[in-house]
Amino acid sequence: MNFTLSEEQTDLAGVLHGFFAAGRRDLASVVDEVTDPVDLVVVFEEVGHHAVAGPLIETLAVVPALVGGLGGGAGLGSGAEHGSGAGLGGGAGAGAGAGSKAGTWSVAFPPVVPHAVEADHYLLVEGDTLREASPATELSSVDPTRRLFELTAGPVIATEVPTHAFDLGVLMCAAQLLGLGRAMLEMTTAHVLARTQFGKPIGGFQAVKHHLANVLIGLELARPLVHGAAVTTTTRDVSAAKVATSDAAWNAARIALQLHGAIGYTAEHELSRFLLQTRALRTAWGSPSLHRARVLEAL
Amino acid sequence: MNIVVLVKQVPDTWSERKLTDADHTLDRESADAVLDEINERAVEEALQLQEAHGGEVTVIAMGPDRATDAIRKALSMGADKAIHVSDEALHGSDVLATAKVLAKAIGTVENVDLVIAGNEATDGRAGAVPAILAELLGLPQVTQLRKVTVEGTTIKGERETDEGVAFLEASLPAVVSVTEKINEPRYPSFKGIMAAKKKPVSTVTVADLGIDASEVGLSGAYTQVLEAAPKPPRSAGQRVEDGGDGGSKIAEFLVGQKLI
Repeated sequence: MNFTLSEEQTDLAGVLHGFFAAGRRDLASVVDEVTDPVDLVVVFEEVGHHAVAGPLIETLAVVPALVGGLGGGAGLGSGAEHGSGAGLGGGAGAGAGAGSKAGTWSVAFPPVVPHAVEADHYLLVEGDTLREASPATELSSVDPTRRLFELTAGPVIATEVPTHAFDLGVLMCAAQLLGLGRAMLEMTTAHVLARTQFGKPIGGFQAVKHHLANVLIGLELARPLVHGAAVTTTTRDVSAAKVATSDAAWNAARIALQLHGAIGYTAEHELSRFLLQTRALRTAWGSPSLHRARVLEAL
Repeated sequence: MNIVVLVKQVPDTWSERKLTDADHTLDRESADAVLDEINERAVEEALQLQEAHGGEVTVIAMGPDRATDAIRKALSMGADKAIHVSDEALHGSDVLATAKVLAKAIGTVENVDLVIAGNEATDGRAGAVPAILAELLGLPQVTQLRKVTVEGTTIKGERETDEGVAFLEASLPAVVSVTEKINEPRYPSFKGIMAAKKKPVSTVTVADLGIDASEVGLSGAYTQVLEAAPKPPRSAGQRVEDGGDGGSKIAEFLVGQKLI
């Protein structure tokens, strides 16, 4: 079994890195037709690496999985867009591109609250029923780039929706957390090499090195779980990956904040975006305790 | 319309570039190698012209084995096929030899309507290859363009220089070089990256192109680098304490440097 990413996947990560670094956000132009969970993990690790905000998990991973799982050419096309009854319109563009082509999507899996940053379309999944939905009450998020809404259920679009769509969302969230952790480690490493105290860079002190080593170990041990879960896509593996990446990214966030001398608390510093997104994603798509329970159940 | 794009792999623009001690050629191992940014724009322009006029885009690169990475990048952006001229004998080639080899390589592509190059590579910075190439191929050269349009068998371009903008026109086939103002290169999509793997890349040697190895490389170069020294480290400079006469001290310094 080959555990490393392919050359193409590494290239994709490199392209996305340059893409986000250049300030581009129209992700669909680069990752159109990415459906394989491993490829998606590569995409979302880079999304996290740049703390890109928006309903990307839903639009690029979950909605295509929901639509694809409903079989054949069923596409969530223009029907939903114009609110003309059933959302499963005659749209031919099913599968991967469906979400991105028809605008952005937000999906709610109660009790998980949807995170909608100006999503164009809303869906609600209750058990195995997929409904149209519309945003109702706005809730507040710890991360100001996330806009949480409670959804009001609308007409039923389909029943017996594939259960793996939720797991795919969880997995992408795990990948995003991994990327966030990596970004915070990189920022912190750069900072401790530049910041001097007692006449030398603070990165030279053993206590600081230990902190950074712990962050790195946490992230490196979480990564194989994410990649493994992308291959098996079982509930147990996905939940385990989410728990591990939540812990690793959370630890990275705390260490980053401390080693930056707490400057990340202020919204003016770049780090704050990463801290807040990490805090939000840690409990998004199911809290660590929910996923621990799912792992326990599966054992 | 069949377009050939010339691409070069260069050391990353932001890295410190060095010369090797042995023969004063560029030390390609010391820095990350990337597709030269100006070539990304050349590829982008070719793809835009292809989208408008159809045809095929062929990428030609001359360089060591690792230049395949730069070729892959161009293919993943959307070019159709590539020719990689790779030969030990090419090591240390000057602009004339480079243009000669590229001209022969372009000759292996059928019905070329347009050759697009960047105006100059970020490592060599001679900026002469497109012009020499046009001369060798006997084609009109429309260089340093910020805008390119093709109408029928005519190519029109805007050349921007310090003196102003020149509006140029030539008949196809022609050789074109573009500046960084020409466009914003696209990012390869995942689909493009996957497709690039399957696109044909033919690797040729100088012998395959019918060129004698002695005409190219270090030995065939018209100039020789006898000695090279690294740029001296920046010295600390001179500090003037302002005791009320700071202005006149600065003036004295500038007079001493013959600046005023």
